[in-house]
Amino acid sequence: MRRALRLAARQALLEQRSFWRSAEYALFTFVFPLMILLLIGAANVGSHLPGTQIRNTTVFVPGILAFGVIVAAYVNLGSKVAVLRHDGVLKRIRTTPLPSGAYLGGLLVSTVVTAIFITACTGLIGWLAFGAVPRAGEPLALVGGLVLGTVCFASLGLAISSVITSAESAGPVAYASFLPIAIISGVFDPTFSGLPDWLSHLVAAFPVKALAQVLQNTYAVRPFPAWDLVNLGLWTAAGAGFAVWRFRWHS
Amino acid sequence: MTGDAAVHVAGLRMSFGATEVLHGVDFEVRYGEVFCLLGPNGAGKTTTLEILEGFRAPTHGQVSVLGLDPAAQAIRLRERAGMVLQECGFPRQARVAELIDQWRTYYPNPRPLGDLLEVVELTEVRNAQVRKLSGGQRRRLDFALALAGDPDLVFLDEPTTGFDPEARRRCWAAIENLRGLGKTILLTTHYLDEAERLADRIAILRAGRIELAGTTREVATRAGLATRISFTTPSALRRGQVPPPDGIDLAVRGSESVCHTGNAAMTLRLLLAWAVEHRLGDLDGLAVTAPRLEDTYLQLTGTNGDQA
Repeated sequence: MRRALRLAARQALLEQRSFWRSAEYALFTFVFPLMILLLIGAANVGSHLPGTQIRNTTVFVPGILAFGVIVAAYVNLGSKVAVLRHDGVLKRIRTTPLPSGAYLGGLLVSTVVTAIFITACTGLIGWLAFGAVPRAGEPLALVGGLVLGTVCFASLGLAISSVITSAESAGPVAYASFLPIAIISGVFDPTFSGLPDWLSHLVAAFPVKALAQVLQNTYAVRPFPAWDLVNLGLWTAAGAGFAVWRFRWHS
Repeated sequence: MTGDAAVHVAGLRMSFGATEVLHGVDFEVRYGEVFCLLGPNGAGKTTTLEILEGFRAPTHGQVSVLGLDPAAQAIRLRERAGMVLQECGFPRQARVAELIDQWRTYYPNPRPLGDLLEVVELTEVRNAQVRKLSGGQRRRLDFALALAGDPDLVFLDEPTTGFDPEARRRCWAAIENLRGLGKTILLTTHYLDEAERLADRIAILRAGRIELAGTTREVATRAGLATRISFTTPSALRRGQVPPPDGIDLAVRGSESVCHTGNAAMTLRLLLAWAVEHRLGDLDGLAVTAPRLEDTYLQLTGTNGDQA
């Protein structure tokens, strides 16, 4: 067990090294969310949610935190595993004595590290540029929400990797399967509203809005997000179940 | 029994659903030899290899590799056996030496990096990006990764399929280098010249059965093929001034005379005695051609081999 942990840690290190070297991954994962944070954040400075004293940015920053977690855990991990599978790297790893668990564990740890980086950057910029900070006494809840979000979207990322049919389509499929939902979930626009009832119910069923609301609750007072936590739990279970069921070492 | 063999396979059967693809395969690979599993596409070579590598559990039969049960002891096996699969990619952005170094960390007793680069002749491109390598170089990088753990046994699944002659030649050189290190090598191929050039012993696998096994010569001889003896037709024979030799089925084809025989020594003795008797000298252009693997193989696999 200790050997497996050591091997997983070393694999995570190798993955991180290759992640930071690869311009496309590092750029998309970091520049994209941070650019959105700065641009849309700047457009919302000074505005308040209609009929409240809550500043738009106080809701917007945690929404981008959710976005960063999803990009790191879902898009990155999902497309990475799909590419590794279609390139035959997973197959090759199986010819070595490296235990499967240590290898996949290394990928997951590396994903968590990336999620921590992007979260820290987003939180820091949100605070410095827009003065958005978690409510007093809520940082622990924020960390808990981030952990739950990372676990949930990593399991969904592994699940989608099994659906992706080629290395070339991996990134586009991963983005296309969540960006529209993120937009109608209001992640990029704190005042987003006016969806037809059926659509807002549908959006509420997806984990994107759920994670955004769990994190927003730690920045601005809102009703306790009990349903959102249940939602994330269910999606985690569904994603993990599907990922385990459909996981393949070769394409 | 299994103690002195690197690979021992007995009564191996494999079914996918209702279809049996291996119908009782037996062979042994001795330590230190290059053993070639030769056969047309679809004969079951890769399936056999996947069972030996621990990727599939056989339906029936005994399989032992380096004294281990591959299906049950896959990780211990992979510490001691290197595997080159037919098609396997590399991580994007990887560089040659770096990737080999990464692979070395997966093994308890890795081979030194410089050594690995040398064996597969990639020292000059050690800092190159993997995606910029040629097909042949990538295949030799496959070898280097499979050798990273300094294995006792190396599996090579169709190592030169689809390569141009120069790339094949360099791959063969790399395989010869492996042999020089004392590694036991089990390779599959559907190229005769590859088997003939590299292998100490050969087993011909066709439609899920071993048709023949042994050294190249044994395989060809056991297939019942005759040795070919030929010489330049003496002018006296052509003009009918001397009778053809007794007891030899000699065919005079213009300037060349040819016979086929199952007993080359006896035939040669008769032939030379006949030549002395008729003052024909040493028989110009006398050539004795042992049965070639190619003849055996073509005879065995015929034209329907590909449908196996």
